[in-house]
Amino acid sequence: MRAGITVLMEQIKYFYLVRRLSVYELKSTTMNTYLGMAWELINPMIQISIFWFVFGYGIRQREPIEDVPFFQWMLAGIVVWFLINNGVLKGSKAIYSKIKMLSKMNFPMSVIPNYVIFSQLYPHLVLLLIVMVVLQFAGYPISVYYLQLPIYMFAVMALLFSISLITSTLSTIAQDVQMFLQSIMRMLLYLSPILWPPTRLPEWLQMVMMINPFYYIVEGYRQSLLGGEWFFIANWEYSLYFWSLVIVLFLFGSYLHVKFRRHFVDFL
Amino acid sequence: MSKSVIVENVYKKYKLYSKRSERMLDLLLPGKDYGEDFYALQNVSFDVEHGDIVGFVGVNGSGKSTLANIVAGVIPQTEGEVKLDGQASLIAVNAGLDKKLTGRENIELKLLMLGFNKTEIASMEEDIIEFSELGKFIDQPVKSYSSGMKSRLGFSISINIDPDILLIDEALSVGDKTFAQKSLDKMKEFKESGKTMFFVSHSIGQMKEFCEKILWLEFGEVKMYGDVNEVLPQYEEFLNHYKKMSKKEKKDFRKQALAKQSAKLE
Repeated sequence: MRAGITVLMEQIKYFYLVRRLSVYELKSTTMNTYLGMAWELINPMIQISIFWFVFGYGIRQREPIEDVPFFQWMLAGIVVWFLINNGVLKGSKAIYSKIKMLSKMNFPMSVIPNYVIFSQLYPHLVLLLIVMVVLQFAGYPISVYYLQLPIYMFAVMALLFSISLITSTLSTIAQDVQMFLQSIMRMLLYLSPILWPPTRLPEWLQMVMMINPFYYIVEGYRQSLLGGEWFFIANWEYSLYFWSLVIVLFLFGSYLHVKFRRHFVDFL
Repeated sequence: MSKSVIVENVYKKYKLYSKRSERMLDLLLPGKDYGEDFYALQNVSFDVEHGDIVGFVGVNGSGKSTLANIVAGVIPQTEGEVKLDGQASLIAVNAGLDKKLTGRENIELKLLMLGFNKTEIASMEEDIIEFSELGKFIDQPVKSYSSGMKSRLGFSISINIDPDILLIDEALSVGDKTFAQKSLDKMKEFKESGKTMFFVSHSIGQMKEFCEKILWLEFGEVKMYGDVNEVLPQYEEFLNHYKKMSKKEKKDFRKQALAKQSAKLE
């Protein structure tokens, strides 16, 4: 509990630094390509078109999902997946890949995973904007439900940060964690309601799938963009579950992080 | 006058594991002890006044760099205490540069992380670039730099942030004569303004010219600590003696040291 407060205070105090550092982080990862930051958009677009082709045409034969055409349905959910995927993978690498450079700086280490995740927010916002424009012309114009988007955006950042506090500590101790996460994330893409709707599954299996907190995020984004419902109110029990999970992960992550952070350098 | 740096009974223990699984077991089962202990530093204590310039000497593997890193706070000590009056800055060859970013971006990033604000950074940036003599290379990614250029950049940044305590770990051995001279001049300026400095170097010449006190480390322990004129001649004598040793004698010497370092001194 005390560790949690420490980490939380550090994030608030150093938020300015998180913002500034995340820009350099983005620069550093895209510097060496000719198209630079454009890759942050090109990559997702290529993936979206492949999934559309395979799942939209190949497997489902353009059947709509609950009256929503497949393309629009998938787009509204997958847009946040790239943030989730990159956030989890890069966030877990954050400490061991940066520590050499960052040890002995005037800021606490818990800022590192935060700014690495934060740097993924910029391409996400651009991609989100593009998706919004596409949806305008694809029959889903801007609606009052857009107002709930910031809630899910904050929710996904909080979740990613809590997860990365745990994974970045563990993967500094044993880098196997990184490998493990890669397969988990590949699996979760299919276990979240992104490429196919789980509504045909039996009720209990749907409930099992909803344990995955990313389910909440993806559905929230979808309901906001397609204008279905006030998702977080309509499913308030689910919201409650989600935030409890985030708090538990955050407290556990902070505990681990604070316990080990003095010794991160020694583990390398 | 209060001390600038106080180091008290510092130990640094490393664990040597013969297998990766031992490392894992050591982490998971806190009760048992896996792997071999290795003490890189044992019972190191000394204190330094403001404005002192201290050189660390010793043969390879005696713990000079480890000690410099501990004083700078880069790595934690296992036991003991280090008290600093002010901010310490460590200069080592290519320490803490992001290879993918350009020199200029590295300067900004480093200053940002040290807690300077935008206007301060803008004003310091020019001084640093000028001091580093990198010219138009400053806008090239650091991975294209030679080792000399990297250490020049690192040195220029560290020296321009005006730290209270400066630790220099072999960083001067890479630049050419003129740059080394310029750096020495800058450090003399520091000396006059009463800053504390530490030198890690194999160059006895530089030590003689510059340091006031010498800390002689031998296999993780303080062998001698005192005035330059007192310690350096004895160290030189030891070096000559060490050079003259036959291969077998040297081996024995190292073996004996290793035995000493694998258990904690009381």
